[in-house]
This record gives sequence, structure tokens and C-alpha cells, in this order.
Amino acid sequence: MIRTLNFAFVAITSLACLGVYRTAEQARVDQGALKATQAAIVRENNMLAVLGAEWARITQPARIQALTQRHLDLSDSPTVELSSLSQLPAKELPLTAEGEIRNAKAVIPQNAVPRQALPAVEPQPTPAQSTDATLAAFHTGT
Amino acid sequence: MPKHVAAPTLIRNRIALAALFSAICFSIIAARLIEVMVMGAGVPANRVASLVHPMRADLVDRSGVLIARDLPVSDLYATPATFWDTDEAAHQLAQATGADESLLKRGFAAKRGYVLVQRALTPDRREAVMHLGLPGLVFEEGYKRYYPSGRIVAHAVGQVDTDDHGVSGLELGLEARLRGERDIAPVQLSFDMRVQYVLEHEIEEAARAFRTKAAGGIVLNVRTGEVLALASMPDYEPNARKLEPGDSIRNRMTQDVYELGSIFKIFAFTEAIEEHTITLDEPFEVGKPYKLGHYYIHDFERLGPTLPASMVFAESSNIGTAQIEMRSGPLKQKPFLKKLGLLDPLKTELPEVASPLYPRHWEVVEAATIGYGHGISVNPLGFVAAAATVINGGTSIRPTFLKHEEVQQGERIISEETSRAMRQLMRLVVTDGTGKLADVPGYDVGGKTGTAEKAENGSYAHHLLISSFCGIFPIDDPQYLVFIMLDEPHGNKQTGGFATGGATAAPAVGRVIAKVAPLLGVRRNDTFAAANP
Repeated sequence: MIRTLNFAFVAITSLACLGVYRTAEQARVDQGALKATQAAIVRENNMLAVLGAEWARITQPARIQALTQRHLDLSDSPTVELSSLSQLPAKELPLTAEGEIRNAKAVIPQNAVPRQALPAVEPQPTPAQSTDATLAAFHTGT
Repeated sequence: MPKHVAAPTLIRNRIALAALFSAICFSIIAARLIEVMVMGAGVPANRVASLVHPMRADLVDRSGVLIARDLPVSDLYATPATFWDTDEAAHQLAQATGADESLLKRGFAAKRGYVLVQRALTPDRREAVMHLGLPGLVFEEGYKRYYPSGRIVAHAVGQVDTDDHGVSGLELGLEARLRGERDIAPVQLSFDMRVQYVLEHEIEEAARAFRTKAAGGIVLNVRTGEVLALASMPDYEPNARKLEPGDSIRNRMTQDVYELGSIFKIFAFTEAIEEHTITLDEPFEVGKPYKLGHYYIHDFERLGPTLPASMVFAESSNIGTAQIEMRSGPLKQKPFLKKLGLLDPLKTELPEVASPLYPRHWEVVEAATIGYGHGISVNPLGFVAAAATVINGGTSIRPTFLKHEEVQQGERIISEETSRAMRQLMRLVVTDGTGKLADVPGYDVGGKTGTAEKAENGSYAHHLLISSFCGIFPIDDPQYLVFIMLDEPHGNKQTGGFATGGATAAPAVGRVIAKVAPLLGVRRNDTFAAANP
């Protein structure tokens, strides 16, 4: 009985040792992989941070304006609203009613007329204030 | 032969006990192994944390545009003893890092110890160094605060020291929020970088045109108290460790106090209207200097024998304002200005805020001069906060540099009616008074000009001015306040030689409003739209 038990315990011990070794080895390998992954994440995060900062630097308005003035034929003028909401044209009827879409046929009617293009909303010019008017408006005082 | 069963001996008992003990131990180990294999042990939290460098949080503007960020950098050290050819190593390292080659050669010549090659190497330069394949190089990892916008908003944001601790501006004021253990969320500031750029650009233009000593400006949301932009000139490059000639780290909008001059009449008239000591059509004699004790109070120019109270404000008459202020007197004026927060240090996230200066003995003469902005010095941000209180309906606001879109429910300081009357008066300044050049068609700008003489050698110098303009738009439903101040401007041909607030700061404010109003979603009024189909 004792011999059997001893044999069993030795067997279990050996198996456990193997299990422990295998687990420890696996853990060591996994830890290495984990560290590598974490380092890669840190590296990528760092690169993202650098790229984000670089993007913020190259898109800052002062730089865009300097580039625009150097390379484009645009002047430094105030932003203007082209129109006000109250001046927008009333909402047009939908191009086709829902029923027409549902019952649409592949054959174009003979009397079909191309839809007239809507007139484009032209930009409103900023009211120019003449230099004379500006000087006339100037008022000395405190 | 009968089977003999031997009684268990002491040794057998001990063996059994040892076996039992071993069985228990191995059972525990086996159970733990099964748990680890099946459930997974996970990575200890402290190990993950140790891989992440403690950084400061990003600073971003109200739309998420990056203002400040910690970027990974490396300090590079070399052990010259490991180099075969120190001169060649110095040459290669200088090319890869931008370091001074002659300094490196001198440092490597001793062939002993560690030599600092370059601080704060960016990842791409570090990569270039790695490609050299030189032995004996050591990288020390770290982070460096980077400000992508450079000089823009430098004064308000401030700086950090080499240990990444805030030393000035919001970097210092928000230190507790910015430094954390890990996973720190970006701190969203109230700034709008588009508005900030426009303000800085216009101030720079005005400073150049009028050859000022210094200049500054603020854009404030009068409902929420958010500072959308704050500029101070001269400025500095926060990414550089040294100041260039002419640069200044002084934030003139908060660190300095000024006698702001006639712009202060806003408070004299607010007080008079609130206390019903005047009516707006009541005439005041402004034809000759106003005598007060031994002193005479003058106007900048002769404005006629009489002016109604409204035009006293619009034409910025010191004589008329002094008479109006005398009706309230020093006993009422001082508590009123205190209620507006003009006599106390401003509480905000910026640590560099100067306390106001005012006379210890506040008598009749002091009350009269303070009425038109002389004899009291406040920092411009404090003034702007008080002006916003006057025009936003009458409730106090505390300027904030953090995004806070809810309307501040501050203490009521003046009535709605007084606030409305003041808005009318400020519109009158732009339509018929000294601030005509600030008008922007369609945006109903209101405001007040200010031209103060600076004190020099115990008296006021006529040629040293502080010219300013405080603009509000749209005046019927005020949302934003734009303040610009020019320190010692010089008149030019365009202004006829005048350097007053109405000639220098007011047009700059008008240009800022014309540019930022569409960006801020403020629509032109319908009258303008109808007249310009």
C-alpha cells in the first residue's frame, strides 16, 4: 500500500513539476511578448503624440496665412457672410414625390423637360467704406 | 502461519505524515496551476503602470485643437573611451543630432567619463543616431513640453520647468489637474485658437502701425465668462529656453495694472443710472473746466457749452462725468466699484494676477478723477470682467480659462434696466461718439473708448498714453466683448497724428469683430441683410 502510494505521489510530483516548469516557461515567454507589445504600444502612442503635435503645428492659422500669402493670390480680408438665413430661398418641393419613385418606369416620357437649374446665390459684397468716409467718421476724443 | 501484521512504528507514522503533508502541498500547487492555466493570472497592475511615464495632460482649445503636449524625447550621452576615432564620432553625432561638433570634439578628447551629446532628441533624430551604429551611447528617456502654436497664446498658457512642473500661466494654475498618474484626459481650455489668432494678428498690426511700447487684448464671452482669447505683446517663444531680444514673459493683461482712462466712465454712468441720479437727456455744462478744490478738470477738446448726459458719455467728456460722479460721491462710489470686483484681486485660474491700486483716502477729488479713469489702476482682465457684468444684464461673472458653456449665474449687481441703458449708451458711442471707427455694418457694435495719460515723475505726461477700446457685440443681445489696449501708441498720418483710443484701438477692435463674428456664429442683423440684398 505504502509502495503504491509512494509511487503515486512520485508520479504526481513529477507531473506537477513538469506542469510548473511548462507554466513558468510559458509565462516567461508570454511576459516577453507582453513587454514587447507594451513597448510597441508606448512607441505607437509616442508616434501618435508626435504626429498630433506636428499636425497642430502645420495647421495653425498663422502658418496657413503665411503660406497662402506666399503661394496664392488671396488678400487678407475679413470673413463675410454671403447671405443671411432670412434671405435664403424657400424650400423647394422635392424633386419627385415618393409615389413617383415607387411607380417609376424605366421609360422616359416623351414630353419630359429638363428641370431648370436654380439660380446660384451670388456672394453679397461687403459695403465698402471709402477712405474719406472713414476719416470723416474719425472723431478725436477720449 | 498466521499473517503477522506489524504495528505501525514511529517511522511509518512519520512517513505517513510527510506523505500527507506533501499531498496537501502538491494539491495546493495543482489547484493554483489549474487556476492560472484556466482562469489566467493577469499582469500585475503595477507592472503595467511602471511602463508608462507619468506625463502632463494635453492642453486643448474649446474645439480640441492642441495647445500643449508632452512629447517623448531622449537625452543622449556618450562614453568617449569606447570610440576608436573620437573626432569621427563627434562629426557623425553632430550631424545626426545637431549638436556643436567642436564642443563634442573637446568633450571626447579626454576619453573618459560620460559626455552629454544632446538634450531632448526627437524620435527621428534618435533613430538617426541608432543608425550610426556607434558603441557606448546611452539614451535617457524623458518628455518635453511642446507648444505647437508657438508664440500664439504663450502668455496665458505659460511654461513648465525641466522637470515638467508648471512655472507660469495655466501650466502652473492648473498643475493639479494636469499632472496625474496615468491616462490623464486632455484639459479643455476656453480658448478658441481661431479667435486667438485673429486677435493676435490685429494687435500686432496695430502695434506696428502705431509703434507702441506694448499692447494686449481680450475676447470674453459675457454670459459664460469664458476667455476666448488673450494676447499680450511683446510675447515670447515658449519652445525656446532663452528669450530673444525684445521678448517679454510679462502678461500685460493680468500682471500689470493701468489707469485706463475714459473707458472707466462705463462704471460712473452705470452707478448714476442705477441710483437714478441722472436722466440721459439731462444737460450738463461742459463749456469750461470744472473746478474741484484746487484742481481743474479739462476735456480733450471743447465740446460745447452743454451736452445731454448721453452725449457726455458718447463724447467722453471728463467735465460732465466729474459732475455726474459728484452726485453719487465717494461714499457710494467705492462700495459700488467693490461690488463690481474692481477693488479686489481677480480670482481666476491664472496665478499671475495683479491687485488693483486705489487711493487710501478716497475723497471728493479722488471720486471725480476715478469717475473718468484716473487715480485707480486695475489689470485689464479685471476691467473686462466688470464691464461684462454691466452689459450682460447685470450679473457678476468670473472670467474662466476652462471651457464652461453654461451661463454663469452670478450675483446680481445692477438691474436689467440699467444694463439695457448702458448698452444703449455704448451703442451711441459707436454711432455718434468717439468710437465710430469700431463700427462693423450689420453687427451692432457698442463700446467705449479710453485714453489715459501715464504718470511720469509724479505728474501725468501728455505724450505717454494708454489707448484702449472695449467693444461689445451684438449690442441688443450681447454675447462677446473685445478689448484692445495699446501702451504708448504714436499717431500716424492716417489718424492725423492722434493716438487716442478712438483713433488707434477702436478700428482694431472693429477689424477683430468683423473677422471673428462669423466664426463665432453671430449673424448680421436683418436691417443689414435687407439693405444689402
